[in-house]
Amino acid sequence: MNEIIAYIRRKLSIRVSLWVVMFAAVIFVAALGFLFYQSREAVRQEAIHRATTILDRTSLQVEGILNRVEVATNMTVWLVQRHPNVADSMFVYSEGTLRNNPDFYSCSIAFEPYYFKEYGRYFSAYSKYEGDSIRTLQGGSDNYQYFFMDWYLMPTLLGHPCWTDPYMDLDAPTNTYEMVTTYCQAIKNKQGAVIGVINTSLSINWLSQTISAVKPYPNSYSIMIGRGGTYFVHPDSTKITRHTIFTQTMLEPDTALTALGHAMQRGEEGMRRMVIDGKDSYVFYKPLGKTGCSMAIVCPESDIFGGFNRLRHTVMGIVFVGLLVMLCVFINVITRELKPLHRLAREAETIASGNFDAELPDFERTDEIGQLSHSFGYMQQSLVRYIDELKLTTAQKASIESELNVASNIQMSMLPSVFPNREGLDMHASMTPAKEVGGDLYGYLLKGDNLYFCVGDVSGKGVPASLFMAQVTRLFRTLANQQMAPADICTHMNEALSGDENPTNMFVTMFVGMVNLQSGHLKFCNAGHNPPVIGGGEHHGEFLQMLPNFPIGVLPGLEFQGEEIDTIKGRALFLYTDGLNEAENRDHKQFGDDQLLSILRNTHFESAQQVVEILYNEVQRHRDGADPNDDLTMMCLRMQ
Amino acid sequence: MLTAILTLCFNMVPFTMAAQDETIVFTPQWTAQAQFAGYYVAEAKGFYREAGVKVHIEHPTPTQPAMARLQHNQCQATTLQLCQALEIVDGGIPLVNILQTSMNNAMVIVSARNEDPLKQKGARVGIWSVGFGQLAICMSIMDHLNYEFVRFAQNVNLFVAGALDATLAMSYNEYYQLVQAGITVTDKNVYRFCDHGYNVQEDGVYMTRSYYEKHRNQAIRFAQASKRGWEYAAKHPDEALDIVMKYVDREKIGTNRVMQQLMLQEVLRLQVDRESKKREFRLRPDMVKRASHLMVQNRMLDREVTYQELIAK
Repeated sequence: MNEIIAYIRRKLSIRVSLWVVMFAAVIFVAALGFLFYQSREAVRQEAIHRATTILDRTSLQVEGILNRVEVATNMTVWLVQRHPNVADSMFVYSEGTLRNNPDFYSCSIAFEPYYFKEYGRYFSAYSKYEGDSIRTLQGGSDNYQYFFMDWYLMPTLLGHPCWTDPYMDLDAPTNTYEMVTTYCQAIKNKQGAVIGVINTSLSINWLSQTISAVKPYPNSYSIMIGRGGTYFVHPDSTKITRHTIFTQTMLEPDTALTALGHAMQRGEEGMRRMVIDGKDSYVFYKPLGKTGCSMAIVCPESDIFGGFNRLRHTVMGIVFVGLLVMLCVFINVITRELKPLHRLAREAETIASGNFDAELPDFERTDEIGQLSHSFGYMQQSLVRYIDELKLTTAQKASIESELNVASNIQMSMLPSVFPNREGLDMHASMTPAKEVGGDLYGYLLKGDNLYFCVGDVSGKGVPASLFMAQVTRLFRTLANQQMAPADICTHMNEALSGDENPTNMFVTMFVGMVNLQSGHLKFCNAGHNPPVIGGGEHHGEFLQMLPNFPIGVLPGLEFQGEEIDTIKGRALFLYTDGLNEAENRDHKQFGDDQLLSILRNTHFESAQQVVEILYNEVQRHRDGADPNDDLTMMCLRMQ
Repeated sequence: MLTAILTLCFNMVPFTMAAQDETIVFTPQWTAQAQFAGYYVAEAKGFYREAGVKVHIEHPTPTQPAMARLQHNQCQATTLQLCQALEIVDGGIPLVNILQTSMNNAMVIVSARNEDPLKQKGARVGIWSVGFGQLAICMSIMDHLNYEFVRFAQNVNLFVAGALDATLAMSYNEYYQLVQAGITVTDKNVYRFCDHGYNVQEDGVYMTRSYYEKHRNQAIRFAQASKRGWEYAAKHPDEALDIVMKYVDREKIGTNRVMQQLMLQEVLRLQVDRESKKREFRLRPDMVKRASHLMVQNRMLDREVTYQELIAK
């Protein structure tokens, strides 16, 4: 599965095709769903109409005949009530009723026990068709006590004429059963007391045959139940008169069937959808006149919707196959359309591997892929141009870097790397430029017992500062060589580097000192430079208090003031540029004067070089990998 | 009606047979149904033959009760309810109970839905035209309900049609017919006599004492084989039901297997004594006394009929 998903992710053609087909499927499903729903509803309505029509027709047919039975019985009752005491007339009335209505089954005029005393306890004038003739006899005996029969009791107890539930009447001569239903009406005397009951029976074999024949669909069938739910028509003949609609619910409760039975018993008319014999079915039901019977047509859903379902399955199949074909066609077309892109991808790989002169295919297309191809060609040309320019620039940069290296070497060579080896003097200095070349400087010159030294910082950085620094270094050495005092050196240097001599307005801060190596007497001049630290180690270190002076090169004509210290023997002098105390870490936090002073105070001075290296390492640690923000120059001088 | 006439003619045949072959013609008090399963089983499984007794089972017609057949010597043995037997003995015909099957009363009153039979004073209540229902008449008088009893021939149609307010029913027969007709039965609309101090035994097999005295040995063997039939039916209810259905089909009775299955279950349940929890097959003196007292008290008997009068001596 994961492989299939991975494959689909790799294949744009399949992905796009799937999206399109899925979208199409959604549209199809929605459209067909609506269509199927509407069609199904139409089929359902048609089925309802069909079943209802059959039920109405059957009901009307039944009612027509029932009405005739009721009218005939009413007429007979009227006749009996006119001559209630003439027993023999009753035989004439019952026979006459049948004679006038050849489609009736039987007629019985039964009286209360001992009503006609001459006939004893039982008197019932009973007539029945036998073939084309009518047989009339007196019914009732100890073996057939009619006044306990339903047909006799019902109209008396209910107080109105009624139809009994159908029952199977045995015709003894032919030993055949006839399904009959009986209309019963009580006969009352003038005082309103019941004196007997007239019972007119109607064979409903024709009705059961008519209902049985109702078969609107191949597997549909009809049922008829009586007031007590007894089946009088059912496709399973063993159930007729033996089962009721509720029988099967007694062992396996079926609320739907029970509800249907109750609805039919109540004489309701309607339609229900339910499961019958394991099949989803529609049941249409309607009462049959006033008989208390109800008829139902059971139509399996598979029959009603058989044609519809076949059509639906066919359409679904066509749509499914169509979508599959659509998917294949889409994949094929999109793959073909994307072929140039594959070629472009291959060519791009060739170009990416360094072959910028690879020839791109000409698709001769004006669509998006053609545009992409043209753009790609243009990109290739631009790339070639850019690479050429890059090569040139790289070569130029390499040349500049080479020159800068030379300049750096020259600059470093201007700074002394060897320091005077005199007894009682320990001196060391270093300069680390922030870029290839820097603007910091230091230097010294030993003239007899006097040692001239300086530390300076030219404004700006890079090549201009390095050239200015070279000039300052040369001037310092020249002027020191003339054994001038530090203040004079600064004055002369200022004259040489300011005004028209300095069109770029660069300047340098500088500390120039001259120490007598014999006495330790120090003369110095500070030209706007950071104050050196005097002391340190076991001695209490502090910043040297000095007169303020301008930096050199700012204004011409300045007279720099010098200062003196009787002796610096035993006290180290530490000079530096702002690349030390203003060194920044990644968070732009500066190294600071306090930390400088603290380190110097807490360092045991073994040598000048050791002091310079300790501070260099401290600065590196403080930077914590950050690029240097300025040149760093330090000088330490110690006299014993 | 023609059916009744033909049945009457047919029923005359056993009389002759009984006289000639000493065959016991046994008439259950109702049409073929599981209420008599034990006798059908005894006949079908050959228990009567094995017991050396010839038995022929003949059913009554709906309007000709079994007792009438016994009185007219149309049969030699019949099933009767205890109250019926008491009435007959009180009427001057000595009877012998040769086998008692029922140990509990099955009669109930079913009222229309949501109606309580005990609150339906003066209600029209259906009662069998062929007897039974003596306890209901006693209960109506003693509980001052003054029911108007309407005698019906056979089924529950009158009640279903709404012509009656309530109807008497046997818990194994009409009760299920009512359920089968869609009547809703609940604890409220069903009154069970056995739960209200009227638990009087019902079905037993009876002979006239004169016949019994002459055919004692034959009667005992008939009773033992019948008892064996009932015990077999209790152990093999499915097989017993198959046998019942053969009799039902032969007699063309309008019933079905579900109804007969439920009836057999209920009849077998009623045969288990409430106190001993056993199928005892004996008449209980206390129940005879209770029934007799009730019927004397309500003037249905002229005198008390005793247990001793009913049993074989």
